[in-house]
Amino acid sequence: MTTEQNTHFGYKTVAEAEKAKKVAEVFHSVASKYDLMNDVMSAGLHRSWKRFAVSISGVSAGDKVLDIAGGSGDLSKLFAKEVGNNGQVILTDINASMLGVGRDRMLDAGLNVPALQCDAEKLPFPDQYFDCVIVAFGLRNMTHKDRALAEMQRVLKVGGRLLVLEFSKVWQPLAKAYDAYSFKLLPLMGKLLAKDAESYQYLAESIRMHPDQETLKQMMIDAGLSKVDYYNLAAGVVALHKGYKT
Amino acid sequence: MFKQISTQLLQHLIAQNSWANELLQPFAGKSVQLNLTLLNTSLVILENGSLAIAGDTNVPDATITITPSLLLRLIAKDEAAKLQIKIEGDTHLATELAKVFSNMRWDYEDDLSKLVGDVPAYKLGELGRHAVNTVKETGINLTEMLSEYWQEEKPMIAKKRHVAQFNAEVDTLRADVERLEKRLNKLAKTNAAETDSIQPVKKNVQ
Repeated sequence: MTTEQNTHFGYKTVAEAEKAKKVAEVFHSVASKYDLMNDVMSAGLHRSWKRFAVSISGVSAGDKVLDIAGGSGDLSKLFAKEVGNNGQVILTDINASMLGVGRDRMLDAGLNVPALQCDAEKLPFPDQYFDCVIVAFGLRNMTHKDRALAEMQRVLKVGGRLLVLEFSKVWQPLAKAYDAYSFKLLPLMGKLLAKDAESYQYLAESIRMHPDQETLKQMMIDAGLSKVDYYNLAAGVVALHKGYKT
Repeated sequence: MFKQISTQLLQHLIAQNSWANELLQPFAGKSVQLNLTLLNTSLVILENGSLAIAGDTNVPDATITITPSLLLRLIAKDEAAKLQIKIEGDTHLATELAKVFSNMRWDYEDDLSKLVGDVPAYKLGELGRHAVNTVKETGINLTEMLSEYWQEEKPMIAKKRHVAQFNAEVDTLRADVERLEKRLNKLAKTNAAETDSIQPVKKNVQ
């Protein structure tokens, strides 16, 4: 259980003020190998999950999209194609190393996507500004998920959509195999490819500590979103939640 | 995976039929459950007027139920079959979605042209259309031939006028039976009244 001052960092309990620092260390460490590791760990599936998220978003030309914890910019790149020249995509991340990778990729792709370092719990945007806000594989690293969700809801226009793509609770019959993969193979792959077993141990632990599908759905409703629905992807390894601001 | 692939196919079809976006856009965020006996799925209308398979906890705003026999009639373009589609919930939404599906066309030549080029795609399309027409015509000829055989040569199927005649005869018989029943009731009442008036005379004789 967390208290006012303490929170989770994987399976460890740390002071709230410490978590952001520790998460930052993890992502500073993996930033350069982040894409490679994502591809290896998910057998490339993370790309299809992200494409699916974009196809469910209902975003069209001229829309304004906020990509939170966008890291290397996979989603910003896909959204930039959807919104066209009259739309706007803003890539944000709290971690400068990750954001640097994303910003460079946007520039290399010739996309006009501003990259902004900011905390999702204190978004520097006016109320009711975006048509769609998305956070992919980022919410579980946030210290106060409820505050972050409330902020995302605040910056959405009425009728706007919040999409949360995140690891979730896997289908029970696969749980043992998934545990073996997460706690044995994942740190080993991290050690071999990114020379950082600890960060990938944290990844596996943080996934287990993250709320399951129904809990996250309720958290989104509590944050003021309505008609919240979710898709289980890869038997619940990942879930895509979508909610509306009404 | 089913939802991802189905959503991709649906959105591809909608992109080929861009007129559908305008029809669907006013219903953004709403969902419809399709009950097709073998396939039960919910579709959600997106904000850009496209479609997607709904999520795992979706509550549909409308339901469309089509039985397998009705589906076959709809595929055969039987206009009367459209009236038998069962719609529940938001009927306006369901009707608009049904309208979109009935007018939607898959531009397979366009898809094929991306793989093999324009000219071969057109030729293959022509070949496909010709094959479909031949199968359709052969099917109609075969049906007509069999129905004629079973009506004339070896009567197993009743002709329409014979059925109508039989129905008329049944109606006449029913009316006759009702008249006879009323007449019998009347006779029974008269008989009972007569029996009552005779009984006191019998007592006097004793």
